[in-house]
Amino acid sequence: MKLKHVTAEAKLLLIGIPVLLWTMLPIYHLFLFSISPKESAFAGKLWPDHPTLHNFEVVFREQHYYLNHFWLQLWNSLLIAVSVGALTLLVATGAAFAISRLRVKGGRLVMNLALLTYFIPAAFLAVPMYKTMGNYGLLNNQWALILAMITIASPYSIWVLKQASDKLPYELDEAARIDGASPLQLFRLVYVPLMMPSLVAIGTYALLLAWNEYLYAFLLLSNEKQITLGVALGNFLAADDSPWELLMTVGLIYALPPAAIYYAFKRYMVGGLTAGAVKS
Amino acid sequence: MASVSFHDIEKSFGSTKVIHGIGFDIKDGEFMVLVGPSGCGKSTLLRMLAGLEEISAGTIAIDSKVVNDVESKDRDIAMVFQSYALYPHMTVADNMAFSLKLRKADAKTIADRVARAAKILNLDPYLQRYPRELSGGQRQRVAMGRAIVRDPKVFLFDEPLSNLDAKLRVAMRAEIKALHQRLKTTTVYVTHDQVEAMTMADRIVVMHDGRIEQIGTPLDLYDRPDNLFVAQFIGSPAMNIVNGRLRRGGGGAFVEADSGLRWPLGSMAGADGQVVAYGIRPEHLSLAEGGVADAVPAQITVVEPTGAETELLVQAGDSQIVLVTHGRPQVKPGDKIGLRVDPAMVHVFDQATGQRLAA
Repeated sequence: MKLKHVTAEAKLLLIGIPVLLWTMLPIYHLFLFSISPKESAFAGKLWPDHPTLHNFEVVFREQHYYLNHFWLQLWNSLLIAVSVGALTLLVATGAAFAISRLRVKGGRLVMNLALLTYFIPAAFLAVPMYKTMGNYGLLNNQWALILAMITIASPYSIWVLKQASDKLPYELDEAARIDGASPLQLFRLVYVPLMMPSLVAIGTYALLLAWNEYLYAFLLLSNEKQITLGVALGNFLAADDSPWELLMTVGLIYALPPAAIYYAFKRYMVGGLTAGAVKS
Repeated sequence: MASVSFHDIEKSFGSTKVIHGIGFDIKDGEFMVLVGPSGCGKSTLLRMLAGLEEISAGTIAIDSKVVNDVESKDRDIAMVFQSYALYPHMTVADNMAFSLKLRKADAKTIADRVARAAKILNLDPYLQRYPRELSGGQRQRVAMGRAIVRDPKVFLFDEPLSNLDAKLRVAMRAEIKALHQRLKTTTVYVTHDQVEAMTMADRIVVMHDGRIEQIGTPLDLYDRPDNLFVAQFIGSPAMNIVNGRLRRGGGGAFVEADSGLRWPLGSMAGADGQVVAYGIRPEHLSLAEGGVADAVPAQITVVEPTGAETELLVQAGDSQIVLVTHGRPQVKPGDKIGLRVDPAMVHVFDQATGQRLAA
């Protein structure tokens, strides 16, 4: 029995270790670039001869043409991501509560429409979205990107939160109604506290979606004081002598917050995102 | 404290009618139990009283005030749910205080009321715990505590003991009854368990298929069931029913079973030749010793001693009959015996309508 257990584990490890290495390899390269001097960035060594933190210094001091607005652009990314996370939560929680708990008419239709949006890849909608934002005069305004990202993140969020809230016993709502709670009090005092794990998961999902977005950010924002760091990274490639070591350094810095968020909320992410995975 | 009255209540879900014109009154301070098999409409009726279901037709009044269009929270009722429905993210104290906080009671009133409820229900040591840290019985008591702090006009219980194990159920039954005797709040209690109904109720409403079969005190229902349904629903083990024809003549009356056996009668109701159901409770049968004239011949199938009583399953003609005796009869399966019937305790129902033949 025990031996069987050990061999089963060994087999999983045999698959797991190569997959892990395969996944980690590009990240390791990213890291190598960021600690290598410019001259030896392409040396192809497993560890640089003279590892240095010079690249980080350049980035943090904004000492390169493409890095003139590094801190501002990082702040833009953060501001947009947090706004998208918060506003998507507001929209999706309200919708899920109304459909699942207050059982408003037409709820099923909204759910089906939300599901329908999955069929259209977000990239196809980029040009129509650009046109729409142009009509509203929002181009080159960060609200354009925030609104676009909420649009993209909401259907999935509504779906997941609706499924999760269907799992809360309806008697709780009835008990609260008899206890004298208005729908808003029910929402605030009973629903939101009980949905917290799912809300954290969905908030994180929307936040990271916006943080990692490139296409829409690139289309909707063009002023270099408005763009996110992700778009700024793309601009590096336009240079004749691409400063790879700086690009990689910024990339590494840019990847750290999502990693930290995942790590902090990992316990919610697994449970929260799979909660709505199966239509029950 | 309040009275409750239902008047011509109907309820439909879509085109399905589940309650067909029900009306009855509950007196101030009364413990009324609604009992019936699942799907009989008892929970729906309670939920209409609670304001959780729309009333399709008819009126419900609390203290003579029609509440059809009054919101749940303004009906001054408190409800205990089968699943307890405690707020999982609040402590016991917060669960109990929730309704008072929503009603903006001042902190001192809240603290006093919660403390009083906790004392009544022995919940003092658990006030700072969360529901998940409590046993089933404790959760049930918290649910009751949440109802008590409100000091409502009417308590509603929706199958509150169904999730508890058998032993705890008996204990909580007594607790709820004691609580009612102490607080004397009008109570409507829904259950499918006739033992709960019998032991707890001041009066019972027996429901079946969205209609009332009978209303009365527990012993009324037991001693004089209005119809076959109530006769078979109330009492455990259930009443024995033998189908046959009423015969009268010469020496007295009897029911001639389809198998030809003659079952003695005390009652004088009914016409000769009428097709009837003959009912006799297990404890009103005994083993005939020696040559009793009108004993019914039978054969023992199973003997079930429970200590205090012995339950005998016997075959009489083509009927399976249960009888309960207090002694420990020296019989074994296969023995041929005679059944003695206490004729005064016999119930006779019309077989077609199921109604009791009036004495």
